[in-house]
Amino acid sequence: MSSTTRPAAEPRPVQAAPPPGADSARTRRIGRIRRTLTPYGFLSPTGVLLIILMITPIVMVVSYSLLDRVITNKNPAFVGFENYLEVLTDPVFFTAVRNTLVFTISSVIVHFVIGLAFALMLNSPLLKDRTKAFFRVLYILPWLFTVAIVAVLWRLLLSPNGVVNYLLGTAGITDGSTEWLANPSTALAAVTFINIWSGYPFFMISLLAGLQGIPRDLYEAAKVDGAGVVAQFRNVTLPQLRPIIISMALLDFIWTTQQFALIWMTTGGGPINSTEVLSTFTYKLAFTEYEFSVASASAVLVLLMSMVLAFFYVRHQKARD
Amino acid sequence: MTTLATRARTSEQPVLRTPPKKTGQRAALVVALVLGACFAALPVVWMLSSSFKTNPEIFEFPPRLITPGFSFDAYTTILTDPTKLRFFFNSYVIALSVTALSLVVAVHAAYAFSRYEFWGKKTINVVVVSVQAVPPITLLIPYFGLVVALKLYNTYQGLILTYMVFTLPYAIIMMTGYFNTLPKELDEAVKVDGAGPLTALWRILMPISVPGLVSVGVYTFMICWNEFLFALTLTRTEDMRTVPIGIQLLMGQHSYEWNEMMAMSILGCIPVLILFLFFQRYFIGGMTAGAVKI
Amino acid sequence: MGRVMGKGAHVGRFIALTAVASLALAACSGGGDADTGSDSDSGEDVTLEFSQWWEPELPDGAFRELMDQFEEENPGITVDLLSGPYASTKEQVVAGAAAGTMSDVVGLDGAWVSDFADQGAITDLSAVMSDAGYDESQLASQVKVDDKTYMIPVVNFVYPMFTNDALLAGAGVTAPPATRTEFADAAAKITTDSTYGWILPLSLEAPNGIQNDVMSWVWASGGSMLDDGQPALTDNEDVTSATDYIQGMWDDGVIAPGSFTMKEQDKVEEFSNGRVGMMIDSLAHVNLIRESNPDLDFSISAIPAEDGYTGERGIPYASWGIGIAENSEHKEEAFKLVEFLMSESVNSELSSIANAFPGNTTSVPDFVEEDELFGTAFEIYQSGFPANEFTGLPVAEQLMRDFGEEFQKALDGQQSMQDALAAAQTKWEEEF
Repeated sequence: MSSTTRPAAEPRPVQAAPPPGADSARTRRIGRIRRTLTPYGFLSPTGVLLIILMITPIVMVVSYSLLDRVITNKNPAFVGFENYLEVLTDPVFFTAVRNTLVFTISSVIVHFVIGLAFALMLNSPLLKDRTKAFFRVLYILPWLFTVAIVAVLWRLLLSPNGVVNYLLGTAGITDGSTEWLANPSTALAAVTFINIWSGYPFFMISLLAGLQGIPRDLYEAAKVDGAGVVAQFRNVTLPQLRPIIISMALLDFIWTTQQFALIWMTTGGGPINSTEVLSTFTYKLAFTEYEFSVASASAVLVLLMSMVLAFFYVRHQKARD
Repeated sequence: MTTLATRARTSEQPVLRTPPKKTGQRAALVVALVLGACFAALPVVWMLSSSFKTNPEIFEFPPRLITPGFSFDAYTTILTDPTKLRFFFNSYVIALSVTALSLVVAVHAAYAFSRYEFWGKKTINVVVVSVQAVPPITLLIPYFGLVVALKLYNTYQGLILTYMVFTLPYAIIMMTGYFNTLPKELDEAVKVDGAGPLTALWRILMPISVPGLVSVGVYTFMICWNEFLFALTLTRTEDMRTVPIGIQLLMGQHSYEWNEMMAMSILGCIPVLILFLFFQRYFIGGMTAGAVKI
Repeated sequence: MGRVMGKGAHVGRFIALTAVASLALAACSGGGDADTGSDSDSGEDVTLEFSQWWEPELPDGAFRELMDQFEEENPGITVDLLSGPYASTKEQVVAGAAAGTMSDVVGLDGAWVSDFADQGAITDLSAVMSDAGYDESQLASQVKVDDKTYMIPVVNFVYPMFTNDALLAGAGVTAPPATRTEFADAAAKITTDSTYGWILPLSLEAPNGIQNDVMSWVWASGGSMLDDGQPALTDNEDVTSATDYIQGMWDDGVIAPGSFTMKEQDKVEEFSNGRVGMMIDSLAHVNLIRESNPDLDFSISAIPAEDGYTGERGIPYASWGIGIAENSEHKEEAFKLVEFLMSESVNSELSSIANAFPGNTTSVPDFVEEDELFGTAFEIYQSGFPANEFTGLPVAEQLMRDFGEEFQKALDGQQSMQDALAAAQTKWEEEF
């Protein structure tokens, strides 16, 4: 498309004086084709990259999921949906789904609540700009560390002889001997807490930005109507932030369902299987049982669930346009 | 401080200010902020404190913030080890390249999504969003085979392209949102003058999108800076490793170098922190427009 | 650029640019050393890749020095050391084997061997050894799958019992316990508000606590968890008595808290800090404990056996094993490196710097004579037999994890120990 069009002038729909006769129809047709093709041109680098480096491996994973014992078996046979059956009849899979949902949904909700609370505080007109900048830097800190170190740090903090127990014990809140990560009844909550700590800054920053984008006159109008602080928050702030909240929540949901390293390096999916999530379940299938086919089937199931989410996400986008 | 915030503040001052009640509210707010800061920063303070301790002191009970063994040894060890410095260098090269390249590619895709209606738009959109959802751990093996086949194994290019693929969906989503907030008349005006869409994009939209670009850029940078799994698998030799692998190399089979791990992650976060300080006024502003209309 | 140029031209040029850029990327990458030993001419110089996690574990530069020595003795062969984090070595080998980019020589753990052999990732060393006319009798052990050797343990880390003698003395225990009753008794006496008798890491991320801290009790009394190579966890008096014994100590509260997520690295930190009286641990930790806490008064003994047991005691061990990639084009040279590492003097030296016991029967590491503690350990090692039944089993790590989950459930009171063994047995039978 590029070689022939170089000298051709841009058709100018607004201006008069169309080029003579037969030529004009042709130019217009080329123009139309060009217009149709332009977006694809813009998308082509993305397309090339995603197709080669993302879609190809995904397709390979899908095909693995239909074969028998890939990787370990040199000539795997086609087994249809047998691997899916194996995943779906494994009770641990459902434990993993349940834990993933608990982990993800509570993470997303608390990310949102903390993120919004911090954003509101950091946006308060009562504070000096410098104070806000200072706290903003402090509040962003958890975001700056690689997962491995977050896991190691919190293992230290939450160990039975760790700082958290020491502080709680000294303050008399607990007896100071809680096994946060090693007790099946607190492990999932502890891991979720760590994930909340390490993930809220993303929400906070986005919401903070959103708050600053809300036109001031909306608040003034609300005040004229006699709305108090709470009513202003409910009737102006929340509705204005809604688009951000929904898209952030969806992105966060997708990202959190994939959280692997954090859980693996703190509890390894244990104790027993109280923190077993889909990612640790899949990892174990692949790298300790060498069941790459079954692991692929499990991954494809996760992909399908996420595609449903993605679909709603895009629809939501459309609805707002 | 951010120009946006300043502007917002000055504009509302006359309306909101009712002095007598304010002092109490301000005090309550500061208390809340400090509490929040404890939640956010105390673990990091502990990390910092541990990086100055000797290994056994880290496990001392009752714990102390500053111990007799206080020293900068862990930092000296890292900063005088050329192998570890190389990890930092690699992380910079990769993270900066990905940030630049991802932005350039994403901006064009976002422009298409924002300014054109075309066949398959919705489907492509679903794909872009949902490819983020495949558990990376299962992609590892096919992906690795692919990278080897493309002769990208153990190269910067391999990692750069990989991270581009990981960060593009997010960057596209955010930039599309950002462009959506900019009036279409802007680029239409240029096109009327006979310029192509690329001119509209680069000459008109890009300069006013700097905040959006910065916010997406910082996020992209952080993803690359912290990624472990693919950095490990797609590189082989020590001179290609990145910082997260350097940290994990300190977690041995039998024992961990706790203080060096902590020191290395503190060192690792400093450049990102500086970057954030430098860009934060854009960052806050950028997310505004981008996020509002995703 | 500008007014005259059409949209199409812009977009087209953009595509062309992208294409050129990707080509350029692909071209540059050719410069990277992407493929493994593509030059197969044996007359040419050969570069062996050796991936392992040992180098970072050893004193700085020590392992490289050994490689330099090898290169000097074998002109024409250079060794490229590729080091990775221990915890991720396995993923790298699996992915490398699947893509055919595995290093020529790889460091292995006994728990992985069966799986890698199955995958066709590592080569049959029996064949290589007979081709090279190698004298196998000097090897302390070989890890076999279907009667073929796939891994040779280069050095072994044994796991004796460590006791904090000051804590024991303070509790009125004068000698390290030698039987289970004595051990449980000592553990109970040591346990106070802040100290515990024993420490038991059962993390499911790194489930080797099952091997080193649980099954070791079975092996120390001459028991076995297998019967003719098949799992035998039920109707097995040796296993039942050991697990019941541990359950008993658990219920008595003499085991340090945090077991369910604790790893080997945590165990040693708690012991060094004097919060735990006894542990079963790798000799590799001796120097670390001494560095961490120079004042700690500790000693090493054999793992306690059942009361009245007089036979040889099995002592658990972990190895740094070595194997050769199936797709290596330099198997002959690769084996020279294996031979070098297994030779008497080099093996002695490597054992010395790693604080491990040699894989060559004739090697004697320096520390055995110089250091009393290691001397004792060497005696324990020689008077017993190295026992690690997980080595060479299929999906060994998963077996440990399966067992670990059921064991945790039993300790947590969700099922009886008998049910736990039965459940683990069922899971194991599926894996075999």
